[in-house]
Amino acid sequence: MDIYVQLLINSLQISAVYVLFSLGLTLIFGVMRIVNFAHGEFFALAALLLAVAVPWLVGIGAPLPVAFALAFLGALGAVLVLGKLLYEFAFRRFQRDMIGSFVLSVGLALLLQGVFIEMFTGAARKLPTLIEGTVRILGGAITVQRLILCLIALLVAVAMCWAIVSTRLGKALRAVAEDHEAAMLQGVPYRRIARIGFLIGTLLAAVAGALLAPVVVISPVIGSSYLIKGFIAVVIGGLGSIPGAIIGSILIAVIESVGGYYFDPSLATIAMFVIVMLVLLIRPTGLMGNG
Amino acid sequence: MRSFRKILVAAIGALALCTTTGVGAQETLKIGTSAPLSGAAAPWGLGLEWTAKQAAQAINEGGGIKAGGKTYKVEILSYDNKYNAAEGTKVAQTLLNRDNVNYIAGTIGTAPTLALQSLSERKGALLLNGAWGASSKGPKFPLSYTVINTPNEVIPPLYSYVKKHNPGLKTVAILSANDATGKETELVSRKVWESLGVKVVLSDWYERGTTEFQPIAAKIVGQKPDAIDLGAAPPGDTGALFKEVKVLGWSGIKVIPAGTSAESMMKVGGDAIDGMYTALAADFDGPQSTDVQRRLTKGMRAAIGEPMNIVQVMGYDAVMALKAGIEAANSLDPKAIAAVLPNIIFETSWGKTAFGGKDVYGSPQQLLLPIVVGQIKNGKLSELERVIPEELTKRLAAAKK
Repeated sequence: MDIYVQLLINSLQISAVYVLFSLGLTLIFGVMRIVNFAHGEFFALAALLLAVAVPWLVGIGAPLPVAFALAFLGALGAVLVLGKLLYEFAFRRFQRDMIGSFVLSVGLALLLQGVFIEMFTGAARKLPTLIEGTVRILGGAITVQRLILCLIALLVAVAMCWAIVSTRLGKALRAVAEDHEAAMLQGVPYRRIARIGFLIGTLLAAVAGALLAPVVVISPVIGSSYLIKGFIAVVIGGLGSIPGAIIGSILIAVIESVGGYYFDPSLATIAMFVIVMLVLLIRPTGLMGNG
Repeated sequence: MRSFRKILVAAIGALALCTTTGVGAQETLKIGTSAPLSGAAAPWGLGLEWTAKQAAQAINEGGGIKAGGKTYKVEILSYDNKYNAAEGTKVAQTLLNRDNVNYIAGTIGTAPTLALQSLSERKGALLLNGAWGASSKGPKFPLSYTVINTPNEVIPPLYSYVKKHNPGLKTVAILSANDATGKETELVSRKVWESLGVKVVLSDWYERGTTEFQPIAAKIVGQKPDAIDLGAAPPGDTGALFKEVKVLGWSGIKVIPAGTSAESMMKVGGDAIDGMYTALAADFDGPQSTDVQRRLTKGMRAAIGEPMNIVQVMGYDAVMALKAGIEAANSLDPKAIAAVLPNIIFETSWGKTAFGGKDVYGSPQQLLLPIVVGQIKNGKLSELERVIPEELTKRLAAAKK
């Protein structure tokens, strides 16, 4: 094992997960100016639904890849329905209200966690491995499943950047994120764009949860740990900035991987919070934020 | 007229409340448990809750607990301590200040147990706990008893067995959770490994709730240890860590003193946990187990989907120890019960046992249980050795005379 290559591979595979998670978080903030602390619950619900549906589908005779595909689509659909309900009945009323949305989303996160524990029990679950095998790259090692996860995260990140820069919807999202009143004066339908932005963010959380489900231990509280890291990533990168979320995710993954190797996993976590404080002191809008 | 009606309703309500609480207080003893019911350690907590309820059902169906000329039924109240001190404190407040329980029979996690103990000792409640750390025992805590084997009991026979059957074992890396359970386990682990001539090349810490184990795995494998010892890591973390070290090409001796069910660890780690030595896993279907244990493990498979392990069966044993204590003291007073517990021999799921361990802890607060050294082979647990504590053998022999 070449340790430097391995640390690089570890950083990349951890950052892939954080990128997927933080993209949705930053998109929702950009469009609606709310920090959605219930974002982790969308992620957890997708993973939990897969953990329940895949064994059930396999049990009734579906081949494993088919079971995964059906469960994946079902989980995304279910999370989108939940996201739509929460948007219509809760978040829509607290747009651009940082304090109100903070209280609302923290409350919803606790409520959803409690509901998930009741529905799925608190027991940790694990899905069967979809694709077996380990790949060796320049003396480092990574499982095939993780490698595919990294590639999908890369694709999603590229697609998001392209969509934001090149499509009508992306331009509308950017316009709303920069100045929603000016965007409205130019004829951008703010409410519709905000709803679409929220649902895309929710979908990204669901995609992250569903993709990660086969490689992690799933429990109803899994969203909380990713939320903290995702939140750190978007604060460092700049709340509302897509490239910022990607850079922030890579940075904290490198700290976690390299810091955890040379020092201590706890020290690595402390280092992340120190960097957040420094960023907030020196550049409060984050590395790529525009305020 | 309206005032009269209000007074009448209030009076009837108060009367109903007095009547129901009076009957409840006289006939039902509330027993609390504090265990992780969510997260990586949830299989332990959910199983403990289930076995405690099985004990309560057995007691209620058998006529209840008899004390002071009365008969009492029992009811189990379970709360999620999430395996951390903050939640453990909330559970303590809920059990002791809101539910007003006088007995806690079954806890998991040293930190949440210590949080609970700081209040239970002050409030005069009896605490039959599963804390792995030695710090919950001693003359300072007269109302606390440990009802599971802990590092001082299990680690010496486990490591001795591992070293004896792997004479080439020279180095070990220890990974422990960064909490009270992990820290107290690491102290004993390090001491025993060194006493056996095994060098500890790395002793590292991780946060419970960690989801990405690759950096820790890379660090451990970088030290090239002959063995990896995961101390008191829960099944989910154990499976995840060994899976990652296997990806990096490491294949040495795997040890986990708190390793419980092979099934739980296999679910996560797959064949990466094969060959692992454990000290808290027992084959409760096997011939060495009692009828009670065979019945419980069968029931747990149906209820929770996995066979029972030693952490989970603690719930049953704690409730049975409480029943024996109340009946021996002929009193519901926790202090009177605590006073008789060291002197009695009573039935648990393991058969007859007693509290001991005065030489180690300064007071006899440790339940004397068989120590089961096991190994996971081809996805199944095999019991390699079952050691009956010498003190228990002596106590049982003395009782026969």
